[in-house]
Amino acid sequence: MATTVIAEQSPHRRPLMQRFARGSEPYLYSAPALILIVTVMLVPLVVGISYAFRDVQILNPFSGGFIGLDHFRALAEDRAFLGALRNTVWWTGASVLLQFVFGLILALLLDKPFTGRGIAQALVFLPWAVPTFLTGLNWAWLFNPVIGPLPHWLHALGILSEPNNILSDPALAMWGPIIANVWWGIPFFAITLLAALQAIPRDLYEAASIDGAGPVQRFLSITLPFLAPTIAITILLRTVWISNFADLIVVMTKGGPADRTQIVASYIFTQAFTRLDFGYASAIAMVLLVLLLVYSMLIVVLRQTLLNKD
Amino acid sequence: MASIDIRDIHKSYGKIEVLHGVDLAIKDGEFIVLVGPSGCGKSTLLRMIAGLEEVTGGDILIAGNRINDLAPKDRDIAMVFQSYALYPHMSVAQNMSYSLRLRKTPREKVASAVSAAASKLGLDPFLERRPKALSGGQRQRVAMGRAIVRQPKAFLFDEPLSNLDARLREQMRAEIKKLHGELGATSIYVTHDQIEAMTLADRIVAMHGGVVQQVGSPLDLYDRPANLFVAGFIGSPGMNFIEARYQPGEGSPAARLADGTLVALPHAYALEPDTPVTLGIRPEHVVIGGEGREAAVELIEPTGFGTILHLALHGLPFKVFTTDRKVLNAGNAAAVSFPPQHLHLFDREGARVAAL
Ligand SMILES: Nc1ncnc2c1ncn2[C@@H]1O[C@H](COP(=O)(O)OP(=O)(O)OP(=O)(O)O)[C@@H](O)[C@H]1O
Ligand SMILES: [Mg+2]
Repeated sequence: MATTVIAEQSPHRRPLMQRFARGSEPYLYSAPALILIVTVMLVPLVVGISYAFRDVQILNPFSGGFIGLDHFRALAEDRAFLGALRNTVWWTGASVLLQFVFGLILALLLDKPFTGRGIAQALVFLPWAVPTFLTGLNWAWLFNPVIGPLPHWLHALGILSEPNNILSDPALAMWGPIIANVWWGIPFFAITLLAALQAIPRDLYEAASIDGAGPVQRFLSITLPFLAPTIAITILLRTVWISNFADLIVVMTKGGPADRTQIVASYIFTQAFTRLDFGYASAIAMVLLVLLLVYSMLIVVLRQTLLNKD
Repeated sequence: MASIDIRDIHKSYGKIEVLHGVDLAIKDGEFIVLVGPSGCGKSTLLRMIAGLEEVTGGDILIAGNRINDLAPKDRDIAMVFQSYALYPHMSVAQNMSYSLRLRKTPREKVASAVSAAASKLGLDPFLERRPKALSGGQRQRVAMGRAIVRQPKAFLFDEPLSNLDARLREQMRAEIKKLHGELGATSIYVTHDQIEAMTLADRIVAMHGGVVQQVGSPLDLYDRPANLFVAGFIGSPGMNFIEARYQPGEGSPAARLADGTLVALPHAYALEPDTPVTLGIRPEHVVIGGEGREAAVELIEPTGFGTILHLALHGLPFKVFTTDRKVLNAGNAAAVSFPPQHLHLFDREGARVAAL
């Protein structure tokens, strides 16, 4: 009894245990959440990363040993990997840019009232609901001159010299999955940009039109600044997501012809599930992870500076 | 600066007509205040003048030119919004200069116009700030500044002060009045605050249900309301109304109340004997004390300047405003009388009855 009284009077002389209990209190409270996050997110990540430094081949029962940086050395020499890296940039850049541009145009159109807008909005968001696997198959068939109309139309328009399958043309094959991806991904941009557009106060446009701004000036001085944060964050998300997104490529071209549509993600898929070399696949995945982290950091910093400017 | 003529303006949204033919001739340099209850179409009318709403029927003329189909930017008007509608990504100076920059005004001219407006409104210290970093009152000033830099033909205000607190509103009200005195530009000001209407207006336009009820000077509307709506709307606390029947009498016209007692009227009216009428008297004109009819005091609201008494007169609610701090308590009885010269008479349809 006496000791507690003293302890309360002079906080500097609390017993060690009590001080420890006080100090650890916040950590104890947050422990359940932290433990959950660590087990669910970090453990698989660490195990996956550890594969990159080990020789893990499913078909080789003697594999599993630690091999240090061997995978990365092999990777630096791997021409297929470097090609995949180049293809990834191309695939991601073209897909994101086209999705964004068409998504923005669509959002702007849907933001204006017109009869049948409700139905149009519902239809526009439809592709998003189609499983990627089906999307890939569908477009693969559309590009197939035996059953699909697209090669014949493109030929008729003079874009193709022969009504061939562009998916088997090394120079054009990448356009196939990109077009499928754009079709499938436009709704994401349209939805998020439309939501951001509708949050812009109408009276700003009215004030601007009284001030003398035409449609283009209103877009540049009101719409764009309001959309900028949303654009930055959606482009960041989609870039990371699309560069990891191999479904369409695996379904439509399997990385061919001659690896011309092989992106890093599909290369990882091939290494892991066709060659069954999990160690090498993990090493590639790690390189991709680091590249994407660097990219994300850059965007976050960019966004922060943009926001601080306001 | 210019006159504005509004001729038989109609506005419908789909099948619903919200303005039923508004006529208004606004003189050059006049300060017009549109008042009326919520939803009566004040904003709609203002926005039609600004070009933000299409005109369903009728004509709007500015300086004699029909502008129905002109784009807002070509009407040479400026508008101050209730929400201020400042461009959040631009500084105060950029907000104010936006319209001039769009019109490709030379840089020096823009700078001098902005600095003149800023010093007029006391905005000099804030020119480089974003609207986000300003108080409500300062934002309001920026909105005003944005309107005045351009020196438009007319100013339109849609409840510009309703987001401010009472003290600031009072101050801005005075500043707007001063500004109008200096610039002398034709102004149309929408509000449902009748103090603003009374203090600012050269002429008030009282609207109700999409129809103009009365146009006149503030004191006109206060002293001679054209109908029951205006009588009840202008003045605070609102006018008292008592149902009665007209009695011409013999040289002593009066109104007979429901309980049979007579209220003396100031003049004779061109009404049949026993016509049902509505008597109106403002709370501040009722005399308390002395000879008069009995009323029970139900509630007392001291406002500092005076006291609002809520009475029950012949069982009906009745308000009296007095600056006399007599000790009357709820539950007391009060004697009230109606000076004839302050009585208003309205007929069955609610229109003011003119004296013979
Ligand atoms: N876009 C619209 N579609 C249909 N009806 C509308 C539209 N805008 C306004 N109205 C109707 O028109 C009438 C007048 O509206 P208005 O905004 O002019 O009222 P107001 O007098 O400004 O009211 P307040 O004092 O509340 O601002 C209202 O009954 C409103 O419901
Ligand atoms: Mg309004």
